[in-house]
Amino acid sequence: MKENRKNMILSRRQFIKTTGVTCTALLMSGSLPSLLKPAFAAELKEENINDVLKKYFGNRHIEVSHVDLRAPIIAENGAVVPIMITSDLPMETNNYVKKMYIFVDGNLNPYIASIDLTPANGKAAFELRIKMRKTSNVRAIVETNKGQLYGAIRSVKVTIGGCGG
Amino acid sequence: MAEGIGRIKVRIPQSISKGEVISIKALITHPMDTGLIKDKKTGQIIPAHYINAVDVYYGGTHITHCDWTYAVSANPFMAFYIKADKAAPLKIVYKDNKGGVWEETVQINPK
Repeated sequence: MKENRKNMILSRRQFIKTTGVTCTALLMSGSLPSLLKPAFAAELKEENINDVLKKYFGNRHIEVSHVDLRAPIIAENGAVVPIMITSDLPMETNNYVKKMYIFVDGNLNPYIASIDLTPANGKAAFELRIKMRKTSNVRAIVETNKGQLYGAIRSVKVTIGGCGG
Repeated sequence: MAEGIGRIKVRIPQSISKGEVISIKALITHPMDTGLIKDKKTGQIIPAHYINAVDVYYGGTHITHCDWTYAVSANPFMAFYIKADKAAPLKIVYKDNKGGVWEETVQINPK
């Protein structure tokens, strides 16, 4: 009986020791949050906005002017964030805004949309409602038919994310 | 859910003078599923289903093309401008990643 009890105490000690070590190791490595997430969420990787911009525009210079980006300062619902892009650049036959891009830094895929315009639009403006996963920057980039790039950036606070996952 | 997809509303100004730059507002009912959300009842991931292309034709001329991703909100609303220099139909065509195509035509009659 005595022998038996001794064994039990040892095994309990052993148990506490092992659990303690494992827990500490988990906490130290910081892997606990990722273990708690669903498996499919762990596979999703957020793309870096700088890499994305490089992919679309290479090393071309983006001038911060001629574009007015209107977005709410605080978006209560990240699933519906109204944004408005307006540019004062001319829309003439040989001098017009060819393309507008919308990026959101904090989304898994920062590229949201692009809009091809022609001089028949008369005005370089577009309004759209987009989804935002978390508080981050919204960027609007405008490309003219001559290849110049203009951009604007706004920070939007999101209280409820809108992309799921 | 499927029967609610693809209802389009287009709003144009009531009176248009010739050569005026007018704003066109368009709305379509569409779930715009990202492919990231799980169905709460079944636990299955809802597959991505979203509009990825919008084309605008004014009197047969292709004037605007939009390339969208799933990050555009459900029931997408958009507003854009056209120069109303002729009496012609304005056609908006939506296409989604599952092959759905919906279109709506409004007549532009500048005075």
